[in-house]
Amino acid sequence: MALLEVKNLDVRFAVRGGDLKAIRGISFSLDKGERLGLVGESGAGKSVAAFSILNLIARPGYIAGGEILFEGRNLAAMSERELRKIRGDRIAMIFQDPMMTLNPVLTVGTQMVEALKAHRRISTANARKIALERLKQVQIPSPEKRLDQYPHELSGGMRQRVIIAIALLLDPEIIIADEPTTALDVTIQAEIMALLLELCEQHNVALMLITHDLGVVSQVSQRMLVMYAGRVIEQGPTKEIINDAQHPYTQGLINALPQMGEPGRRLFQIPGSMPSLNRIPTGCPFNPRCQFANDHCREVMPEYVRSGNVDVACHEVAALIEKEKQLQEEQP
Amino acid sequence: MLAFLVQRIGQAMLVMFVISVIAFSIQDGLGDPLQQMVGQSVSAAERVKLRDDLGLNDSIVVQYARFAGKAVQGDLGTSYFYGEPTLDVIMEHLPATLELVIAASLMIAFLSVPIGVYAAIKPRAWLSKFFMGVSTVGISIPVFLTAIVLIQLFSIGVTVDWFPDDTGWGQWLNGALSTNGGMPSYGRGDDLTHLFGTWYSGFFSENGLLHLLLPAVSLASIMLPLFIRLIRAEMMEVLQSDYIRYAQAKGLAPRRIHFLHALKNTMLPVITVGGVQLGIMVAYTILTETVFQWPGVGLMFLEAITRSDIPLIVAYLMVVGLVFVITNTVVDLIYGLVNPTVKLTGKKA
Amino acid sequence: MSTATLSRWSRFRESFLWYSFKRDKIAIVSFVVFVLIVAAGVFAPLLAPADPYDLTQINIMNSELPPMWLDGGDPQFPLGTDAQGRDLLSTILYGTRVSLLIGFGAVLLQSLLGILFGLLAGYLGGRVDALLMRVADVQLSFSTLMVAIIVGAVFKASFGNLMFGEIAIYMLILIIGVAEWPQIARTVRASVLAEKKKEYVDAAKVMGFRTNRIMFRHILPNTLSPIFVIGTVQIANAIISEAALSFLGLGMPETQPSLGSLIKSGFDYIQSGSWWITLIPGLVLVVLVLVINLLGDWLRDVMNPRLYKG
Repeated sequence: MALLEVKNLDVRFAVRGGDLKAIRGISFSLDKGERLGLVGESGAGKSVAAFSILNLIARPGYIAGGEILFEGRNLAAMSERELRKIRGDRIAMIFQDPMMTLNPVLTVGTQMVEALKAHRRISTANARKIALERLKQVQIPSPEKRLDQYPHELSGGMRQRVIIAIALLLDPEIIIADEPTTALDVTIQAEIMALLLELCEQHNVALMLITHDLGVVSQVSQRMLVMYAGRVIEQGPTKEIINDAQHPYTQGLINALPQMGEPGRRLFQIPGSMPSLNRIPTGCPFNPRCQFANDHCREVMPEYVRSGNVDVACHEVAALIEKEKQLQEEQP
Repeated sequence: MLAFLVQRIGQAMLVMFVISVIAFSIQDGLGDPLQQMVGQSVSAAERVKLRDDLGLNDSIVVQYARFAGKAVQGDLGTSYFYGEPTLDVIMEHLPATLELVIAASLMIAFLSVPIGVYAAIKPRAWLSKFFMGVSTVGISIPVFLTAIVLIQLFSIGVTVDWFPDDTGWGQWLNGALSTNGGMPSYGRGDDLTHLFGTWYSGFFSENGLLHLLLPAVSLASIMLPLFIRLIRAEMMEVLQSDYIRYAQAKGLAPRRIHFLHALKNTMLPVITVGGVQLGIMVAYTILTETVFQWPGVGLMFLEAITRSDIPLIVAYLMVVGLVFVITNTVVDLIYGLVNPTVKLTGKKA
Repeated sequence: MSTATLSRWSRFRESFLWYSFKRDKIAIVSFVVFVLIVAAGVFAPLLAPADPYDLTQINIMNSELPPMWLDGGDPQFPLGTDAQGRDLLSTILYGTRVSLLIGFGAVLLQSLLGILFGLLAGYLGGRVDALLMRVADVQLSFSTLMVAIIVGAVFKASFGNLMFGEIAIYMLILIIGVAEWPQIARTVRASVLAEKKKEYVDAAKVMGFRTNRIMFRHILPNTLSPIFVIGTVQIANAIISEAALSFLGLGMPETQPSLGSLIKSGFDYIQSGSWWITLIPGLVLVVLVLVINLLGDWLRDVMNPRLYKG
């Protein structure tokens, strides 16, 4: 059994004049110690997906359907009290912007100790010891000093180290990291990412990495999901997708990577932009930007088809697979 | 810390300088000390000599310097009406106003924080909507009108006879809607305790507290809705922030999230606004004291205006200005001490 | 092209404004009440049974008559009479007229001052900004009411009671307008600073437009909606300030009363049981201020720029 299994998750935002569908029936699973990448442009619903796993979507958002099974228990149907026992303890989160994540008026020590005390019967002195140990693990300079400092006294990189330390504080099963390095200086992004990966491996923690950076995902994750307009349009082993992307959108993303372009030539760009939630087109949501789109694509939402180990939601890919099958049958 | 202190005190002194210039120009423009001193019966030649003696023919700068020099030593002139040094007159009236402001501030502090926090945490609750509705109405009622209604209800009393008196329920409704009145609504009462100097306090006797009740409630009524709305709005904004969501993601109890993580961030801007509002409350004491004939500096000031007691008006301006400047500076300092992100070097980190 | 986008934008906003107005019962009721009160004030000379300014119509024998539904009431005076024997209904209608005139006049003046100083401070920055905002800070920390009372006291002392009474309306507009300008100026300055960062201002500069043209033609239109929201609430504040000043005897004289001076003149008789002279004008004042505040709240919710730009 997978550690985390998300089945047909539906997330909506209740607004005047009806619901906006932010996540439309996504399914995926995460095994113990696995590294899963979740990619997409901003507005694809990546962060909403991440927050909904811990049932932390802010009003007016709500989980409208589906299951989130963590060790067999459905988080989507759990009471707030039970969820609290899982949040931070079994599943930890790392937010995007370390400047905004730590409470500005509480010391680093307070914010670490309170997390421990929320889940363990432990004295403050012991909690501080554990906190200090974790700060050492994330290689923060002069860790003893940091406990009594306020977040604004730390640099952005140091704050994200603190947040990684807090995530590891209670030895969770899963860490969900939502763009953990985007807000940081380019020079330290790689450093923080390497630290996060190393510690996850060391503690055998499953990592769900949410990012818009396909390059990072291709280096880091074993499996990946590509999201577009609230749907997963392609998922499977990272290597397979990077080497031979099926969905036109994923192909576009890969071609847009700087390392794919030739020096001196313009980078490839997918024409158009992600639709906003209130005007998602009918049929395949990608159809207005897709060079292969036909009338069928504009009317019918594509189902998943399997190509190798990859699941793809695209009529064009389905048609190709169908054609290949026919060819194989005709000449056995 | 020292640099911050020096900068703030420098600012405060600059503001005091501006206030003193305004006060001086009022005195210079409106007050003719000669008229007040000697009346009509003095010859023109004597007038000229007197003007010279009093230094009224000196240049404006010299006159201002003299005015400011005296002011620094605590000499703000003599009241025409009382015939005493204006500062003494003000010191006699100041404790009454301070007690009024203290009582109203306590009411505001103890009511606005719990109500504001509750309305922010449970914005959809029936009780929250009720509180917000009442405060919207409350903001729209001028303080003197609240005072008048309070007097009508609790001092004069209201007899309701809308319902038939020969039925049980009618009698009950009439009784329930009628008020007895009898609450004191005039002055501070006759049972004041001498604390020190000119400070006679009404805090230590039932009579004194009863006299304080209606004026303090009406003074509080103007600020209470503002504070409830402010605390609610700030708290709701804080509750939207990333660090609150992060605190939830850590699995903390809602009580800790609301009352430590959120409230501490909410109170920072509230302290700043609160300091300013405290100053504004002094202006409202003029209205409250007028309605209740409360013998504080507000009533004294208004009477000074009707009596054209220019030195007393000027002295009031200087003293109230000083009180404002001191409160604002102290609030800034407190803010700097409470907020870890202000490094007390004068600028935000 | 920019004018075309602008007008389409404003048309969209108007339609959204209308849409949310139709859905908000409180806004509709407030608006209807507000229009009724304004109409009553504007048409007071036509609606009022008597002319309270005409001394020949007043009979002192009719003084302190209660409203017609109470014992001793006279149908000739539906809401009773005041201490001088004036018909209270007529006096209230004329008083509302005066209060509204001062309220709107003061907001007009403070908007002009606020927009001018706010634009200057926000656009020019530097010393002009520091000076203007310092003055605004000091004035606000003193509270606008305090400033108004002091200015009122000085005016009254320098003009004398009689003369002040004659020009009281203009004086009050001036006093309240001057006392409240920082509110608008701060808002304008804040939006100018926000707008200044945007590309179109750079574009206008590059195209060589002069400073004041950029300020008034390009930045000002984009700062109007917060001014509109604040201005609405400021009308309520100005009416309250006027009432407070009149209540303190620094405003409208009793011969030409506003709602505030009516409340004041009635307050002297409340102990003798004539509650209606003070409480009925008080009620009108509260309803007027309340509906303006409710409309202001609604406008703020609807026009909250964050809803669009977020």
